[in-house]
Order: sequence, then structure tokens, then C-alpha cells
Amino acid sequence: MEKTVNKIRKLLNKSKGMVLDDKLLGSLEEMCEDLGSQLKKREVEAGNLSVKNEENEESKILEEQIQEEREIFDNVIEVMGAGLCLIDKNTKIIWANDTLKEWLNLNESPVGGHCSDIYHCDVVGTDKCPAELVLKGKKGHIVQSWVRTKAKKRMCIQHIAIPITNKNSNTDNILLLTVDVTENEKMVHRLLLLQQFGEITQGTLHLDKLLHLILTCITADYSFGFNRATLFLINKELNVLNGKLAIGPASSEEATRILKEMSDSHNSLTDIVDKLDYSHNIDTPLNTMTKLLVYSLADAKEVVTLCTKEMKPIIVKDAVKDPRVSNEFRKALGVNEFVCVPLIAKNEPIGVIVADNVYTAEPISDERVNTLTMFVNQASLAIENAETYKSLEDKIDQLTETQQRLIRSEKLAAIGSMSSYVAHEIRNPLVTIGGFAKTLSRFTFTDTKIKVNIDIIIEEVKHLEKILNNITDFAKPSKPEKIDVQLCEIMENTCLLMENYFQEKHITLQKKYETGVPEAPVDPTQIKQVFLNILMNAVESMPDGGKLDVKIKYIDGSVKIYIVDAGKGMKQDVLQNIYDPFFTTKPSGTGVGLSVSLKIIEDHGGTIDAISEQGKGTTMLLTLPIK
Amino acid sequence: MTTILVVEDDKNQRLLYEQELKLEGYEVVTASDGKDALGKIQEQLPDLIVMDINMPKMDGIETMGKILGKNKEIPVIINTAYSNYKDNFMTWAADAYIVKSSDMLELKNTVKEVLAKKAKDS
Repeated sequence: MEKTVNKIRKLLNKSKGMVLDDKLLGSLEEMCEDLGSQLKKREVEAGNLSVKNEENEESKILEEQIQEEREIFDNVIEVMGAGLCLIDKNTKIIWANDTLKEWLNLNESPVGGHCSDIYHCDVVGTDKCPAELVLKGKKGHIVQSWVRTKAKKRMCIQHIAIPITNKNSNTDNILLLTVDVTENEKMVHRLLLLQQFGEITQGTLHLDKLLHLILTCITADYSFGFNRATLFLINKELNVLNGKLAIGPASSEEATRILKEMSDSHNSLTDIVDKLDYSHNIDTPLNTMTKLLVYSLADAKEVVTLCTKEMKPIIVKDAVKDPRVSNEFRKALGVNEFVCVPLIAKNEPIGVIVADNVYTAEPISDERVNTLTMFVNQASLAIENAETYKSLEDKIDQLTETQQRLIRSEKLAAIGSMSSYVAHEIRNPLVTIGGFAKTLSRFTFTDTKIKVNIDIIIEEVKHLEKILNNITDFAKPSKPEKIDVQLCEIMENTCLLMENYFQEKHITLQKKYETGVPEAPVDPTQIKQVFLNILMNAVESMPDGGKLDVKIKYIDGSVKIYIVDAGKGMKQDVLQNIYDPFFTTKPSGTGVGLSVSLKIIEDHGGTIDAISEQGKGTTMLLTLPIK
Repeated sequence: MTTILVVEDDKNQRLLYEQELKLEGYEVVTASDGKDALGKIQEQLPDLIVMDINMPKMDGIETMGKILGKNKEIPVIINTAYSNYKDNFMTWAADAYIVKSSDMLELKNTVKEVLAKKAKDS
């Protein structure tokens, strides 16, 4: 009998941490049966002996022996780290060990109850129930479920039913064996996560989103379950390692709360991706601090830079004593044990991820680092992809803009030469018409109608000539003659010029010039023309009068001039065409005002932006660089 | 009496300038292109020339060059529909540059100014 116990012990020691497999179960089952029948035999023998001969010394010894063996048996059961439960044919519980009570969080003895009362498995009563299967002589398969233990630990357990047969090889009782497979389950999850992550990142080309997703995966409880994760990326131009993003609770209280929320709802990766709130973690102190961390790659003195150099994960067990960790970094991170994993894409380091367990203080195992490294390798490729995509996108944007600029200037040039030709061809006959009309007007007519009609001809010719002047100005390429002037002064002069006009149109002008706006190198006449054009447009958009704001500010090496009206505003399709020559919405406009203005501002290296909302007004923003 | 030579290829415009300048009290001689103008100058030396630029046979700039080569003292007013000839340094040799307009006032004033300047210089 002792032999059998020893065998079981050996077998169990060997199988510690292993998943249940049929072979193991088979031999365990055999041995349990053996042990059970032996015990029963001896019990019967002992009983017989004690009845037959109460004073028999031998029976006492036997009883002691049985007691001893029972203790050994109990100990074995206790050590084996498995839940055991004996049920009868009617699935009534006959006996259960303490480990099972502990795991299933049972306060009272389950003996006498039904197995479904404690297991809560979803196969009860179905033909998939292992106990039922075993009773029918079939093989009982494994059922798996998640439970919360008495120690508040989430645990994944597997059950299997083992038949216990009597002498007549009929199944009397069933032993339900329960094993803890949490670690295995987590491992499977991590591998699954790797696969899922690969699939999802293929569709995520937005870099910020991706970084967020990666760190969320590392910190999500059900996957890697690190408390915090911080990401650094290499900036090749500056040859530095830059802190980019950090995710994790800011305090241990928050950590407990999040952990609780997380374990209550067992989210899948896709769930997390869908629910990702990118703004959520942005303002955390940890994240802000991370963004301030910059390490030069020229001297790999810091553990993170070292990690990119060596392209191998570094586990720091004791940061205080570790010579690779500087005081600054340790204080910034505020943790003594952490792991650095390099981000490597195409054999080139692109950054580092630092993960730690600052709140739970759970030690970082090698096995965990290994899966993390696998994950990070995949993440690196995704980051590389997203970065390439982003730079491509930037290039395309640049190209589109250049192309549009080119098209516009081509268009302007074509229109310029074309309109110049037409303008001159028209000017000559116009001079003749107008000139003769003028000579006629000097005669006296008896019929006043003639005089009026001649004046109309003169006026109309004048109007046409004005349009021609505008067009020829537009066509004429003239280089700005730049001198350093105060733009506020030009604006002031222009407004002064328009003072009467403003009054007449009931415009309330509000000027706000920032103090200390530096002088800008511009052609004062041309800029004045631009101001005039835009102010005119603003006034004309307010036929019933209103407020007109003029603001001048100095921002980042450029003077910014805001002309804000409270007028009619423009529709999107109008807004798109305002710079096109000869485009106008005004009944008597020529449609060159804004195109001339844009040309002048562009000749000065500046830009014009129009923001307009129909019914609310338009803001024209002129930006002129001072160098 | 002050004589003004108007060089202008457009027949109607020529008539207009002739009428207007005569009204101001000047003697007006007209030419329809550069070659014609050179011939008219040989017949009679004018006190002032009003010159168009775009003309067939010989344009105003070339004509002006030829005239000024012989008689440096004759003042020339360029009267053209184009403003961009201002950038052509050949036109700088002229005493004035006017962009054509139905309003003759600018031309008349310039004629007066140039003649006054000429009188003062000589």
C-alpha cells in the first residue's frame, strides 16, 4: 500500500504544473482505484479482526496502521494541489477535499449536496457532463471554467471525472479531479493575443492609435498584465531616444479600481480596440513626464539606450544597485524592478518599451519577458509600417499642395497672358469710343436726351477702362520692392483711408494691435492694396453694417493679420473659388481683387487663409514672415 | 505755332487726337506708322511727337530710336495701350510715357508740361 502512495506522490511531483493528459489521468485513476480497494480491504479485515477478537493486540496495531496510512493518504491529497470530490451515482457529494473548498470559495461543507451546486458548470444535465458520461461507461472529457477563489484570485480550472469501480467492476462512485490551469490559460491567451494583435495592427496605420494599442495590450490584465508600460521611439535625425507614450494607473488606488473593472469584464482585444479612448491617458502625470524624457544615443549610458544598442531585452531586478540605471531614470519611473524590451524592425532598433509592476510588485519572470519580446517584435513591425505610411502620407500631401500651387500659377500665367492680349485689343477701340464721346459732350444740344446719352457712354467706357486696368495690373509681373515697415502702420493708414467709407456703410471698426510686433520686409504699396481689397470685401459682405475686427499679432516669426467680419459668410463652393481670377459674387466686381491679393502675399512668402461660415461671417488670415 | 506729330496706326484714334489737340490750339500733323513718320519729319520738323508703340512696318520704339539719332532735341511722348513697355529701357529715352485712356486730359497736360520744359531748356 505504501508503495502505491509513493508511486502517486512521485507521479504528482512529476506532473506539477502540467496540463492534464490522458496518460497521467489514466495512471492516476488506476492508482486511486488500487489504493481505494486496498484501503477497503484492510478496513474490512480490521473490522473483522476487532469484532472477532477485541482484546487482540494485533487488531490494535492494525488500527494504528490504518490510521497512519489514512493520514499519509490525506497528506498526499493535500499536497497534490488538486481539488478532489467524490460523488455517488446520483451526483450527490460524498466527500470533498479542502483544496476544492478553497478554490470554489465554499463556506459550508458540500457533502450531501449535488455537484451542480458547487461546480456551476454549464454542462450539468446534458450528455456532455463528464460524470454522466463516466457512469455510462464512456470516457469523461475535460470541462474548463473560470472561478474566483476564497483568496480573491481569478483561476482557470479543469475538471475530469474518474470512475471508481467495485469488485464487480460496476461503477459505484465517481471521483471528480480539479486542476489549476490558470498559468497555461494565460499563456494561451498571450499567444492568441499575439495573433489577434497581428491581425488588428495590419489594419491600423495611424501611429498614435497603434502606440496606444500596443501599450494597452501590455497593460491589459488578461494578456500581459503589466501594471504600466512606457514607450520610447528613436528620432534618427537628432539621434536621440524620445519618450512617446505611457499607459498605466497613476496611483495604486486607481490600479486596484482598474484591475477590479478589468477582471469583472473579461474583454477581448477587439473589444479593447473598439473602446480605446485615445484622449483618456494623455494628460496623466506619467505620460507628461514620459514625453519629457530624452536620451542621446551617442553615449549609451542609460539602460534604455543600452537596450536599443544591444537589441536584447534587459531585466532590471534592483535598479538601485544596477549600474546601468541612472538615478534620474529610476526616479522618473519610480520603480525598482522593470524590464526593457527593444523595438526592432528590419534589424534596426526603432525604440524601447519599458514595463513594470509598480503596484502589485509581482516579480517579472523570464517566461513573461519572452512572450513580451515576441509581442514587441510584432509591434515593431507595425510601428515601422505606420511610420512609413505616415511619411508617405506627408509626402503625398506635400506633392498635392505643390501640384495645386503649380496648377494655380500655371492658370494665372495663362490667364495673365490671355487677358493681357484681350485687354490691349479692347483698350484701343475703347479709347476711340470714349474720346469721341467726350468731344461730342462739349457740343450743346437742344435735346437734353442726347447729352444724357453721351454721358452714359462716357461713364460706361470709364468703367470698362477701370476693369482693363485691373486686368493689366494683374497680368503685369512686378517684383515687390521690399522695405522693413511696421504692418500695423500700413493697416492704420489703410483704415484711415477708408474711414468715410466705413461710416457711410455703418461699420464699427475694432482694431487690436499686439504690442511689439516687429517690422516686416514688404512692399508697402502692394500690401496696402491687399489690405484695401480684403477690407472692401469685408464691408461689402455686411450691407446692413456691423462689426469689423482687425487684429495683428506676432506668432513664431510671422506677423498674422486677422480681418474678421460679421457678414453673410460664404458657402463651401464659393470659398473654394475665391482666389480664382475673374471669380466674383458681386454684381459689379471684376473678380481679380483676391487673386491679386493672393499673388502679392505669395510673392512675399506669406499665405492667406479664409475661414467662413454662412450667415456668421468670414475671417481672413494673412500670414507674412518677417524673414 | 507749335506743331505736334501724332504717330498712330488706328485711323479713328488718329482723328480723335488730331481733333483734340487742334482744339488746344496746336498745329497737328499725323502719320500712320513709323516709316510714314520719318518721311513727315523730313518734310517738317515738329516741336513734339506723340508716338504709339504697336504699329505695323516699324514700331514706335524703333522709330523713336531713328528720330532721336538724328534730332536729339525733339521731345517724344509715348502713348500706348500697354503699360508693360515701361519696363523696356528703350522707352526711357522718351520724355513721357502715357497709357492710353478715353480721358484726353492726361495727354493734354503732358503735352503742355513737355513743351514748357523744352522751352525752359532751350
